Amino acid sequence: MAKVAREMVERSGINVNQLLELLVKNAAAELTTYYYYTILRCNLIGLEGEGIKEIAEAARIEDRNHFEALVPRIYELGGRLPEDMKVFHDTSACPPASLPKDPTNIKAMLTVLVEAERCAVRGYTHICNLTAGKDHRTYDLSLAILNEEIEHESWFSEFLGEGPSGHFMRRGDTSPFVSKFLK
Amino acid sequence: MKVFSKEELARYNGKDGFPAYTAFKGKVYDVSGSFLWKDGSHQALHIAGVDLTDAIESAPHNTEGRLERFPVVGVLSKLNTRVCSGSR
Repeated sequence: MAKVAREMVERSGINVNQLLELLVKNAAAELTTYYYYTILRCNLIGLEGEGIKEIAEAARIEDRNHFEALVPRIYELGGRLPEDMKVFHDTSACPPASLPKDPTNIKAMLTVLVEAERCAVRGYTHICNLTAGKDHRTYDLSLAILNEEIEHESWFSEFLGEGPSGHFMRRGDTSPFVSKFLK
Repeated sequence: MKVFSKEELARYNGKDGFPAYTAFKGKVYDVSGSFLWKDGSHQALHIAGVDLTDAIESAPHNTEGRLERFPVVGVLSKLNTRVCSGSR
């Protein structure tokens, strides 16, 4: 635990225990999404499914990276992860990104993917709003994650025909925004 | 439609076997079935059993649209006093 770091956040007026609960819930959302995306990715088959598989894989790996990046901040601030994995799953800030009843329905698959990303975008926007100008490190981390979640949302949204994402798929390494927290 | 006083609504906090109800713009919604309202708590910031109209003005989502998926179980009394249960 980083005692002075926590004290500085407390003095800024942030309810640190409430912030920690939010961080744990979002860490749970990242790890569970990584798990559920694994199942979605395995089921992205056929001409249409294969076209989305690579982008779903990038989102899957980056969500795992988000979990890895969040955990140190939780412990720095005096928090911890639940010992029981089932409790951790159920505390998630986002509903399970479960496989649709018909996995060959690509629109249904994309809807699951885009809804998961939208939940994450809402969550990190909220954490950024809570911490802006107060808890600089959590803000910096949440903003980095938010940047990637927004890109994920726009990729899947583009495949749904909602409009252009405005950017390309990842070229090279994953997590261009969050990687600085993983070194 | 059932009319809830604020005190009555407070009993539906999602704990001790009670369902989780929340009020928004005069309507009372049953959010018990939502993954995001487990144990009557939402995103570590909101609790069930209260009128969230003011509290979630800054929510990062279209609240009205998201609540529409849940059943409306009543309306919130405009009076700040206990009212009789049941229809009016």
